[in-house]
Amino acid sequence: MGLEDFKAMVHRCSRCSYCKWIPFAHVKSWRFAKGCPSIEYHSFQSYSASGRLCISLALLEERISCFDEGLPDIVFKCMLDGCCDVACKVCRYDLEPLEVMRNLRFRLIDNGCFPIQDIPLIDNLRKEDNMMMARKADRANWAAGLSLKDLTTEKADVVLHVGCRLSFDEELWRIPQTAVTLLLDAGVDVGILGRDENCCGGRLYDMGYRGEFLKYAENNIDAWRNAGATTVVTTCSDCYHAFKRLYPEELHAPMNVLHITEFLEQLIAKGKIAFKKSLPLKITYHDPCHLGRRGEPYIPWEGRQKKIRGQILVYEPRKPRNNGACGVYDAPRNVLRSIPGIQLFEMERNREFAWCCGAGAGVRERYPEFSFWTAGERIEEAYATGAEALVSACPHCERNFLDALDQRGDSLKVFDVLDLVREAR
Amino acid sequence: MPLEREVYKELESVVGPEHITEEPATLFSYAYQWMAELVPDVSGGGKFFDRPEAVLVPGGVEEVQAIVRLCNRYGLKFHVYSTGWGPWAAPPSGGQILLDLRRMNRILEIDEQNMFAVVEPYVVAAQLQAEAMKRGLNVHISGAGAGTSVLANACCFQGGGPDCIYFDSPQNSILSIEWVMPTGDILRTGSLGSGLGWFCAEGPGPSTQGIIRGALGGSGGWGVVTKIAIRLVHWPGPPVMPIEGTVPAYRTKLPADQFRATFPAFPSWQSFADAIYHIYDSEIGYIAHRQYVMWGDELQAAFLKIVSDPDRQLCDLEELLHMPEIQKLTDEMRRCFQLILVGMTPRDLEYQLKVLDRILEQTGGWNVALVNEPAMQQYVLLYMMRLCFKNLNFTATGGFIDTYNSVASPDIWASGEIEAGKKLLKKYAGRIADAGDQAMGPIAGQGGGGVTGWEDFLFYDPHDPDSVQAAIEVSDEGDRLKAQQGRPPGGMLLGLARTTHTEEKVRAQKLVHAREYQWQRKLKQIFDPNGIGSGNYLWAAEPSTNGEST
Ligand code: SF4
Ligand code: SF4
Repeated sequence: MGLEDFKAMVHRCSRCSYCKWIPFAHVKSWRFAKGCPSIEYHSFQSYSASGRLCISLALLEERISCFDEGLPDIVFKCMLDGCCDVACKVCRYDLEPLEVMRNLRFRLIDNGCFPIQDIPLIDNLRKEDNMMMARKADRANWAAGLSLKDLTTEKADVVLHVGCRLSFDEELWRIPQTAVTLLLDAGVDVGILGRDENCCGGRLYDMGYRGEFLKYAENNIDAWRNAGATTVVTTCSDCYHAFKRLYPEELHAPMNVLHITEFLEQLIAKGKIAFKKSLPLKITYHDPCHLGRRGEPYIPWEGRQKKIRGQILVYEPRKPRNNGACGVYDAPRNVLRSIPGIQLFEMERNREFAWCCGAGAGVRERYPEFSFWTAGERIEEAYATGAEALVSACPHCERNFLDALDQRGDSLKVFDVLDLVREAR
Repeated sequence: MPLEREVYKELESVVGPEHITEEPATLFSYAYQWMAELVPDVSGGGKFFDRPEAVLVPGGVEEVQAIVRLCNRYGLKFHVYSTGWGPWAAPPSGGQILLDLRRMNRILEIDEQNMFAVVEPYVVAAQLQAEAMKRGLNVHISGAGAGTSVLANACCFQGGGPDCIYFDSPQNSILSIEWVMPTGDILRTGSLGSGLGWFCAEGPGPSTQGIIRGALGGSGGWGVVTKIAIRLVHWPGPPVMPIEGTVPAYRTKLPADQFRATFPAFPSWQSFADAIYHIYDSEIGYIAHRQYVMWGDELQAAFLKIVSDPDRQLCDLEELLHMPEIQKLTDEMRRCFQLILVGMTPRDLEYQLKVLDRILEQTGGWNVALVNEPAMQQYVLLYMMRLCFKNLNFTATGGFIDTYNSVASPDIWASGEIEAGKKLLKKYAGRIADAGDQAMGPIAGQGGGGVTGWEDFLFYDPHDPDSVQAAIEVSDEGDRLKAQQGRPPGGMLLGLARTTHTEEKVRAQKLVHAREYQWQRKLKQIFDPNGIGSGNYLWAAEPSTNGEST
């Protein structure tokens, strides 16, 4: 589908602004009622989902051009985190604001209208197959010393995909290392692609680089097939979203994909992971957007929109709604709750209407100031719960929180779910 | 026409470069509005009204004042909005700047003892309600719902809603006001004007509430109201509304011995009207509204089943409509409304329930059993208490307007106007949604009752030119039918969309016989001598003795 295909949808946006807030039912305070970081930071209407729908229409009607100065910033200063999409769909069954915004990005990138900050990033990606400005040769350094199957030459049931962030962010290497230990201890037949692991492409896709995404997706699928893997487990929420939703959507390649927290939840339930220590810690859990509301499984749909009773719009057959109802929210919470001593406090904005960490869709790379402000808002919300630590299940969120805390001179602890599992064993 | 560079620079020096823009994409985002397609003279049948020349996002009253003074100096018209929903939020014509008040978003005070809050323009009802509830208080929410500005609803637009029976109309709830007049002077009204705080609208300082609000509110064309104090009412529920359920079918579980959603239903319109009188007389009810009939009396039961169930979708509608139990429910609900009873104590609720039973007994009515199902009870309580699902107005087709409205004493329900509205909609069914009677409205338009009425909803598809045209035709025909009876036009929303986008002088001629707008002309001459308000403040040309007007 292209942007043109969304014209009817854009005509039907009611400009109600629900997309700027968390679902109104869930508003518990003045402070944490907002849902859209983009408009909160940039103020103008164009920096909201409905604003970007208007821009899409203005583009389609040739009232503005992709080449207008300032347009890329308006389009890309958005994490594509999808809180707007959830809030819109509380009432609307026929709108897909996130899809429209994604296609608006494709339109700009296809026309060569990208933020200048992308140039080194994309250059490096094309040479080194990663989003971290790092060397491909160093990709497997995190796994040095671990006795793991190399799936470029061996076969395994499970492929562990750790993603660009965890491959190159040394401070976070403990996360995939813990994952490996837990999986091996539980007797899972698991391996990695090591240096030949590629970027998942998910972030590229959200940044608007659909062509590049497809290249990586095809490579990854081939590599998994060659390794005989039936399941992909990932420690990264961005990768999870790419594999769970984008690969089947774009390449019709369904795989059994699990986030590490889902896998751990299963292992704990089967008694394959047990905790020996108590961790007396008050924590709050941050739902990564790509694991939560955007981590819903992809369900193929082919059909049409038709009208009944004259003008009432319905899909035939029933179309999956993707409104955040089926994201991964409980698995990480269940893992955390099973750790003795842990007290879990919810932030006001949680699950399908969680506030974004600020790192998504290239915002961290392109607009760091906005990215850290967004993270700072979440940190304030974490503090408001009385928690001593902010826990998440995505290295991108964790890195953004750590850097934002550093910038603030702040000392809130940040953990991955895996950190606490490791500590309590 | 772009602003003169000198003017732009001066405006920029007031708000800072990051809070002013002329970027075309952003300007178009302020021109897009619901209903634009229904005013083809301006929009060409598309979604855009005139775009502003620049948008400013001021951070406080001083900046607003400085901007308005500059506008006066340069003869530059300005338009202003808070949450900006509706055709009146777009600039009424070209050549204007737009002030987006979203940065003025604070709740400045909640005075628990005197039961009022002081807010800036971009505080939405959901926010203030959440904060008020923590203090055992609640706030009126306009019919447009939880996402709209408390201040704008009270001072700048009509602002009524389902809860007026207990909360009173918002205009009666305004206390002191801070207003940047169209001249750029600041007026602080009521007790605030004497430096005595926000608690009173009418002195000891000057009282200008009627002037500021006018007949319908200035809709962004009458200076800038920068702060108001608004009256709050009692909330006997928990400090935070507990929310359950899967998106989108959220629900709230409130204490059953103090909160009860009911659907009183009646065998005839006369008994419906009689029951309303009884409710006024007995002074029961926290919220009273004929809400779900907005989907049509033929569809409301099925729609309610869909939206309150996370697994259902609109494609289930036809199947539901064929189910015998839904057909029975549809019949039961045909003449019903939603009445939320809230007891300040359990005994209070018990009393109100007994009164309701008595009223139903006297009028031959019944409480539709559907609402007693726990999940439905919780869904309806949340819906009505927070008005957090109001964008459901657009769910069926993506567009709605009202067409054959009435406002009067309760007898109006039994006057035949409901059937007349339904007949009108049926005539166009197909080009608009075929839903039946869509007369949605408040059981009481003001505290304690006295006045009631409805908006006859109409669902059209904004993407379908024929459906758009049908909506226009229905609205025009409704207005003609009303005129034949010597009644005011029936379609408020399209009427306002057109009025606020008609050239000021042309409109003034059309309004020449409206007494309230004669008054407003005089006020305009005094308070906006340079004519820099955007044009949304309505005024009528002066009638002349020779039959012409000026
Ligand atoms: S995108 Fe959805 S929530 Fe946002 S203004 Fe449009 S209809 Fe409303
Ligand atoms: S994706 Fe996030 S940042 Fe972008 S418009 Fe939606 S809520 Fe705002």
